[in-house]
Amino acid sequence: MAVTTRASARPKRTVAMPRRILVNPVVRTLGPFVPVVLLWWLLAELDVFPGAFFVGPDTVVGEFAELMRKGVLPGYLSDSLTRLMYGVGFGLLIGLPLGFAIAMSFWARRLTWPLLLFFQAIADIAWLPIVIVWFGFSLTAVTFVIVYTIVFPLVLGIVAGVEQVPRELIRAARSLGAGRLRVFLEVIVPGALPSLASGIRTGLGYGWRALVAAEIIVGTSGVGFMMFDARRVGDVAEVFLGMIVLGVLWYATDALVLAPFERATVERWGLVRQAEAGK
Amino acid sequence: MTALEISGLSKDYVDAYTGEEITAIGDVSFTVDRGEFVSILGPSGCGKTTVLNIIAGFVKQTGGTVKVGGRVVDGPGPDRGVVFQSHALFPWKTVLGNAAFGLRMKRVPPKQREATAREYLELVGLAGFEHKYPHELSGGMQQRLGVARVLANEPDVMLMDEPFASIDAQTRRKLQEDLTRVFELRRPTVFFVTHDIDEAVFLSDRVIVLSTRPSIVREIVTVDLPRPRTWRETTQLPEFRHLSNRITELLTGGAEDVHPAIDPD
Ligand SMILES: Nc1ncnc2c1ncn2[C@@H]1O[C@H](COP(=O)(O)OP(=O)(O)OP(=O)(O)O)[C@@H](O)[C@H]1O
Ligand SMILES: [Mg+2]
Repeated sequence: MAVTTRASARPKRTVAMPRRILVNPVVRTLGPFVPVVLLWWLLAELDVFPGAFFVGPDTVVGEFAELMRKGVLPGYLSDSLTRLMYGVGFGLLIGLPLGFAIAMSFWARRLTWPLLLFFQAIADIAWLPIVIVWFGFSLTAVTFVIVYTIVFPLVLGIVAGVEQVPRELIRAARSLGAGRLRVFLEVIVPGALPSLASGIRTGLGYGWRALVAAEIIVGTSGVGFMMFDARRVGDVAEVFLGMIVLGVLWYATDALVLAPFERATVERWGLVRQAEAGK
Repeated sequence: MTALEISGLSKDYVDAYTGEEITAIGDVSFTVDRGEFVSILGPSGCGKTTVLNIIAGFVKQTGGTVKVGGRVVDGPGPDRGVVFQSHALFPWKTVLGNAAFGLRMKRVPPKQREATAREYLELVGLAGFEHKYPHELSGGMQQRLGVARVLANEPDVMLMDEPFASIDAQTRRKLQEDLTRVFELRRPTVFFVTHDIDEAVFLSDRVIVLSTRPSIVREIVTVDLPRPRTWRETTQLPEFRHLSNRITELLTGGAEDVHPAIDPD
């Protein structure tokens, strides 16, 4: 009896330990970066690449402290984020109603679909030359490009989402007395949300990339400009720093905005299989 | 008093690919009285779901009329509540939110609709689950909610399309007994589609048997079994077996129809 208990308790504990560590949010978030940073540091220490091309983590941290102290980084960061906010704001303002209008009407979908596909194919950056001609090197030009990149994935996401709403749910709502507006607000919008959320996620990702690209080309300030300007003067540490900032910002957007939104809606309602469900 | 009156119903479908026209329902007429439980049985593909969908207003009939409470119906409405085989609960609403949905559409004040919704949830055995989401419930419990959501809305007729077909046999028996209990307590008018003969006999006051496509009413069998009914007691009644055999015969064509067909000449 005692032997069996021992034997069954043993493997249990060896499984439980690493699992407890993995569940810790800090470990789960930062853990995967540890080997990457170590490798980076090792490559720098061993002087695998010349210093003018490759700097180590310590140099980049020093650069970070320097730019924070001088206020350059906070300034550029807030410039970039402000542009992104404008772009995303207008993008949602245009994309949400447009998406639902197209999704809800058979004819609207028929008529706009070729246009959507055509304009989606023109890369965001490909608009920059003409946009600069129209709006100059301005916030408007950058906003235009971000809005452009966000609207298409959003519209396509909404159309796909509305199509996925089970017909039976609409029928159920109708026979419980819901009129067309109620069906739209109470069934179609929440039903389209999983697809809409992934449309926003894709759109934001594209928008963020478009912003950096636009800043490089149009740039007078911002993180993209900072990186490109640093390259001009050969400051590799600043280029590295810019890249890290981009990664961290995207991670933060996901962790602070997108993921909580999805947890509160789509996952809560059981519309996606949660990662935990399998265990 | 007649709650539901179907007269001369017919339905032709046009096949989307071949363009061929199929007559699903030939000519179907029947009535359902208020507080009556009527089931419809028939071979697969004979148009049972179609009849229900026409009554619900989801599908337009080719000919004939549907009257609910004396009024001709056109399109879905809250006077005809539907319990779906797939449950069709709103995943983004809690159990309470689902049950109160119809009342909210009727603009019943929040206090009152919550009280009513809770009352019906308790009736179907979902008390204590008010703040769960549908995906947190078992299949059986989800269908209980499907029933509560319709009953809370107090429709003229509750339409059910094989509501227990996707539920395991054990739970199904329990759900059927509970549905009978709720029916005996509240006496809603129920129109029930099924392909399970025992289920139809156990639940119903009358069973409509349809023929194969294009369907007509083959016979309407009156089930005069005493209520309250339970599986254990009701199935022991000789009358239960007799009715069940009678309907089986009707569905398989009946002895007098089958023999000539088998005859080699
Ligand atoms: N939307 C549709 N378009 C074309 N034909 C259809 C459509 N819906 C049903 N039918 C046809 O009409 C007939 C009746 O279908 P229905 O679903 O009403 O039968 P049922 O009695 O409910 O069958 P089951 O017992 O399998 O549920 C079938 O032959 C089916 O193929
Ligand atoms: Mg059917």
